[in-house]
Amino acid sequence: MSGVNLSGIVKAYGAVEVVHGINLDVAEKEFVVLVGPSGCGKSTTLRMIAGLEEITAGNLMIDGRRMNRIAPKDRDVAMVFQNYALYPHLNVADNMAFGLRIRKMPKAEIATTIADVAEILGLTNYLERRPADLSGGQRQRVAMGRAIVRHPKVFLFDEPLSNLDAKLRTQMRAEIKRLHNRLGVTSIYVTHDQVEAMTLADRIVVMNDGAIEQVGTPMELFNHPANTFVAGFLGSPPMNQMKGVLTEHGAKIGDTEIKFDGFANGQAGRDVIVGIRPEHVTLAAGEQTSALPIELDLVEPLGSEALLHARFGNDNVVFKADTKGDIQHLSGVGEVYVPAPLIKLFDAETGHALNAKG
Amino acid sequence: MMNWNLYSRGDKFFAIVVSVLIGMFTVATLYPFIYIAAVSFSSGFAAQAGKVVLTPIDATLEAYGYIIKDPQFWISYRNTFIYTIGGTLMSLAFIIPGAYALSRRQLKGRRFLNLFVAFTMWFNAGLIPFFLNMRDLNLLDSMFGIILAFAVNAFNIILLRNFFEAIPQSFEEAARMDGANDFQVLWKVFIPLSKPAIATITLFCIVSRWNGFFWAMVLLQSEEKIPLQVFLRHTIANLSDNDEFAIVQTDAAFSAETVTAAIIVCSIIPVLIVYPFIQKYFEKGILLGGVKE
Repeated sequence: MSGVNLSGIVKAYGAVEVVHGINLDVAEKEFVVLVGPSGCGKSTTLRMIAGLEEITAGNLMIDGRRMNRIAPKDRDVAMVFQNYALYPHLNVADNMAFGLRIRKMPKAEIATTIADVAEILGLTNYLERRPADLSGGQRQRVAMGRAIVRHPKVFLFDEPLSNLDAKLRTQMRAEIKRLHNRLGVTSIYVTHDQVEAMTLADRIVVMNDGAIEQVGTPMELFNHPANTFVAGFLGSPPMNQMKGVLTEHGAKIGDTEIKFDGFANGQAGRDVIVGIRPEHVTLAAGEQTSALPIELDLVEPLGSEALLHARFGNDNVVFKADTKGDIQHLSGVGEVYVPAPLIKLFDAETGHALNAKG
Repeated sequence: MMNWNLYSRGDKFFAIVVSVLIGMFTVATLYPFIYIAAVSFSSGFAAQAGKVVLTPIDATLEAYGYIIKDPQFWISYRNTFIYTIGGTLMSLAFIIPGAYALSRRQLKGRRFLNLFVAFTMWFNAGLIPFFLNMRDLNLLDSMFGIILAFAVNAFNIILLRNFFEAIPQSFEEAARMDGANDFQVLWKVFIPLSKPAIATITLFCIVSRWNGFFWAMVLLQSEEKIPLQVFLRHTIANLSDNDEFAIVQTDAAFSAETVTAAIIVCSIIPVLIVYPFIQKYFEKGILLGGVKE
């Protein structure tokens, strides 16, 4: 069992607490992504798992062993850094061999290990090159190679793709996923990019202000966000959130009533936030749909679909619509339709979901 | 070639003034070298008469012949090498780990320790207490004493510490994750990445050791332990004080002046040979000190 278990993990710098008691179980072979805005404590959490930051309080277990006071080198974890941290004075082969030599692995074994990993990562022709002579993507691969050669129990990734351009990032993302499927090593990955989180993760941990907001599979979090923060963080563009009041048959936003029987449960008059994902609206009425009158402001074509920026009552909203190869027909849109089952409700005060699993 | 049309009158004037100043500085620096070399190859008579200006007069190698026959010259030459190599290695052995430790954020009391090191740049014990200290440590007239006494230099530690501080933290972290301990992080990552800075402080150490005169004169009594610079001092003192030598040798092919000049030339040669190889690091080192301090 090479799982990672965090219980009540706290990090404080002097009197300032930046991570407030995190509880998380990462199962063996699982790929878990910590995602959140800058300063939410995700990197600090990862560095505590790596042993690069001291743990102020709580317990960290790796493979069933308490790791709080164990040096990074003895935790059997490998880390890929945001800036790669490749040793500039060593060539690719020596960079990858660095940890193996320190661990006194026999030379012949080092050579075969590096040849194997270089083959997997497509680095065989670059083994003699220095990091300065490599492209960003190649450096990224070397950084991963350096982690892989050690066959660690856990891989830690600290925003490894954030220094790459958009195209390369997509490509490397797929490579990381493939690699994980192939090697099956428990992985914890930190990013602020929700697309990376959605595409890579078996489970996503959304963090904010040093605490966990929600843990779940990408689709669980997308479909059933636990609160307005998660709803606003995952999804591109994010979920539209509008202030409203519950009625007998739905909710009223400004002058418009949206109908969704059964959700209100006799709580009419309660202040809520109504959440509608941009992709959940249609341009034609269907079953159980409510009409939302909008004032179209701007149409942004993305190719197969377009973003409709509009005013709805007092709120700015963004919806997605199919272009069907043309955006002419979108310019006159004055109403969109939202299906009742896809509407999300949150408590106006706490931001907690009222129909989280519905 | 510079295109003068692109420059304003002020720029042109500035360029001319700078060129003249650099030219004057070059002459002022080079001339003593050339003069000493010329004297060392001139006859004693010509040197005494003040005829040597730029080139050797009545060229001769007699002065060199005189010094290379003196066994004390070779002993002190060897000593200078021992002090320079031993002293430089000793300095590096103290300065590199010291600078590394002071550059680490996790070092407890780091601010105080840094201040403590810098303090010695402005305040030191002074001549007599230092001498008494060396005496009480039984390091007077000791070759090891000379090597040990000046091994730690605050300026060099601060220079290297700043260089280490500028190396991204993630290299150290990556090495730690790879299993390196403190010593391995320093040896396998920081030292290779700090070659320019280390070359610079090595050169600083070599030059100051090679030219080291005052303390060697104060601390060493035995002739067989003195370095070249002290031997030079003794020679100058002996030859000039020795009126008989001066008078008798007036007609000879060498004199006190030419012998002194020959010793100086011999003492400069190794520095001249080494300097071109480390010059590029030396310049970088000065720049890095300038930017960081």
